[in-house]
Amino acid sequence: MSGEYASTLVTDETTLGERVASTVIGIGLLVFMLSVLAVARVVTEEASVLGVGLYDFLAGGLLAMGLGVFVVGVGSALGAFDTTPDETPGTVTAGAFGIIAAAAVWLATLQLGVLGPLGGFPVGLLAGAVTFVGLGLLSEDIGSTLPAVVVAVAVSGTVLTNLLTPAWLWDPEWLSAAFSGSMTIPTLTAAAALLTAWAGAKSYGGYGSEGRQAGAYLLVALNALGMLAVLLAVILFIVTKGIGPAFEGFSLYPFDWPFVLNGYSFRPDVVNGVFPAIVGTLYLVVGATVTGVPVAVAAAVFLTEYAEQGPFVGAVEIATNGLWSTPSVVYGLFGYAFLVPRLGGTTSLLSGILVLGFMLMPLCLITSREAIKSVPDEYRDASAALGVSQWETIKSVVVPAAMPGIVTGVILGVGRIAGETAPILLVMSGGLRDDAPNVLGSFEFTSAPPFVANDALLQSAPALPYQLYATITSGVSAENAVEYGWGTAFVLLVVVLSFYAVGIATRMYFRRRLNHE
Amino acid sequence: MSNTTLNETERPDDPDERTTTVGESEETIQPSWRQYHFDGDSKISVSGLDVHYGDDHALKDIGMEIPEESVTALIGPSGCGKSTFLRCLNRMNDRIRAAEIDGEVSYDGENIYGDGVNLVELRKRVGMVFQAPNPFPKSIRENVSYGPRKHGDIRTGFFDRLTGRDDREQRDRIVEESLRKAALWDEVKDRLDENALSLSGGQQQRLCIARCLAVDPDVILMDEPASALDPIATAKIEDLIEQLAEEYTVVVVTHNMQQAARISDQTAVFLTGGELVEYGDTDQIFENPNSDRVEDYITGKFG
Repeated sequence: MSGEYASTLVTDETTLGERVASTVIGIGLLVFMLSVLAVARVVTEEASVLGVGLYDFLAGGLLAMGLGVFVVGVGSALGAFDTTPDETPGTVTAGAFGIIAAAAVWLATLQLGVLGPLGGFPVGLLAGAVTFVGLGLLSEDIGSTLPAVVVAVAVSGTVLTNLLTPAWLWDPEWLSAAFSGSMTIPTLTAAAALLTAWAGAKSYGGYGSEGRQAGAYLLVALNALGMLAVLLAVILFIVTKGIGPAFEGFSLYPFDWPFVLNGYSFRPDVVNGVFPAIVGTLYLVVGATVTGVPVAVAAAVFLTEYAEQGPFVGAVEIATNGLWSTPSVVYGLFGYAFLVPRLGGTTSLLSGILVLGFMLMPLCLITSREAIKSVPDEYRDASAALGVSQWETIKSVVVPAAMPGIVTGVILGVGRIAGETAPILLVMSGGLRDDAPNVLGSFEFTSAPPFVANDALLQSAPALPYQLYATITSGVSAENAVEYGWGTAFVLLVVVLSFYAVGIATRMYFRRRLNHE
Repeated sequence: MSNTTLNETERPDDPDERTTTVGESEETIQPSWRQYHFDGDSKISVSGLDVHYGDDHALKDIGMEIPEESVTALIGPSGCGKSTFLRCLNRMNDRIRAAEIDGEVSYDGENIYGDGVNLVELRKRVGMVFQAPNPFPKSIRENVSYGPRKHGDIRTGFFDRLTGRDDREQRDRIVEESLRKAALWDEVKDRLDENALSLSGGQQQRLCIARCLAVDPDVILMDEPASALDPIATAKIEDLIEQLAEEYTVVVVTHNMQQAARISDQTAVFLTGGELVEYGDTDQIFENPNSDRVEDYITGKFG
């Protein structure tokens, strides 16, 4: 009974098949990345890689991949490699290749100009169905590699034989869009490279469940890398564009950083800066946090610890979820129509703080409730058994244990409101100015109720996101407005990221207090 | 919870002459089996205690006298109501909204289910240790001093120090005393400021006992205090329970009959359906029980 397994338990060397497959994956990742860069126009068609034109290089790489996958696939079917393929490639694989075949045949009929725009459609469907059924009859090693080989060879062949050149243009009459060769080629090579690399990964795992695992691993890992790449692209783009204007006239000794420390003076001989907007954003975010978070946390404590699950709690839950999904411009309109007339009649910093505080509340309430719910009941029991009142328990056990979760909510909420433009546009809308709002220095006592007045709070103040919007789009007639805008964007990014940093440090502090002390 | 065999409509008028069917044996619970005669005073006396969870009749007409400064074990199969009974003794069942409690439980002669009972004072006198160790995610020192601090017996806050009241010495004395009584002092005396969650399971459970002792109770209720622990930690807890009985009244729920036989002075056997079947000297219960069902349960034929 034992000793009858198809594959060996321990293989201490990499086999030839594995080496070919991993080469295919490596080339695939290179071709895919270059293709994506070409689609994004970061690399242009004039570029040459290793002395070869970009598109020829992509097509050549694809051809090599196709050959490699062909070798491992057919080798496995002939028994040259130690693999464990299933009997069929599986419904999903066959279906995916069927769809590809249908699309390819339909597009080919369109290109050849036969059968008309819709006449090729049933032919494509037929080709897809035939592919689907045909692949189902093949074993897994052939069935999941051969179609990928066909796709790779077909794509690279059309490019290498100059059927498809960068100058190629397809402008169908029945569609308003046109497809140019310089976009189509890298799109096709990217898709084909991904498909062939997946087939290579499946071969690397030796097909079967191991192979599917390897193929899926490649795809999900690429998704994670893609996320990272998008983030890096955004940050790099902002930084490269904005770092120049932001550091104009910067000197370390004597320390001067005009873009950050100056206001906007409308004078050509000094560097115009964003200091008032930075201060305005700080007041906004800190003010909104101070107004919104305590209300949200207290409400969360009440709903979770005191209120019984019933119609009231249900209504509050629906209300918070609704408020959370309300578009920010609606909050802004509410502030404009309700708060502004009641708070001095002009757009003001105070209205901005209150509107952003209202926006912060629902998210903080939801996350705080989840955090408080996840505090184990054992703590509450232990405290109650010692005769400690419920409020004391909440204060000294439940809320400290929930603190990291509460802070996470505040971090997310602050991230949302710090860059809000729409409500600011309606309720605050401060223009470019030379001096920062002086909120702390403007408090004064008055003889009439409410006995405290603060002019700075009731005036409009500049904020980074709104200022960015105003400078770039609505043509504020400032000199070199575009550079100024990029610099502002860079500073806004840094300000928001430092809010994150403060939040994450706070959360780490509370976690450490809970776990190590 | 299976009390399908006993429907409430079939319930006889005299609760002491009730008939219960379990499996094939049928037996009438004699009132005399539940009478425990002992010298000295009873700390807690329970009479006519009924507990309902919604439609579920969890405890039926329990009457019991618990002598002071001794260990009373509550044994029985899962779902027999022994934990529910224990949680009635310090009114922890009040925290379960569906629970409905009728009857009388007296602590030193005062009915704790009567009017005007101060729950804080009751729970200070009747402490509780739970099945799974549940120290707070705070330092060892803060865990032990938690009760006295929250009751205002120890004041070490900023303003207290400002107004000249600094109880830190007293706090440290209480912490040391409680940890010594819980046989944990020697193991943790050098790391009182470390997080309690860094202790092992057995140490955590002894810390919970110390935390309970710090509020200076009379009675300690323990709900299967060793069931989540390994044999060595269990042995330490058992030794500790026997020591504590010299000064405190200990009521301990356990699944483990050997444990009950080793540590307890008297044993109460609850069987399925939420009934107290027999209560008496531990030796008598384990060697010569009156009830056949109790004998079956103890010898492992049932339960």
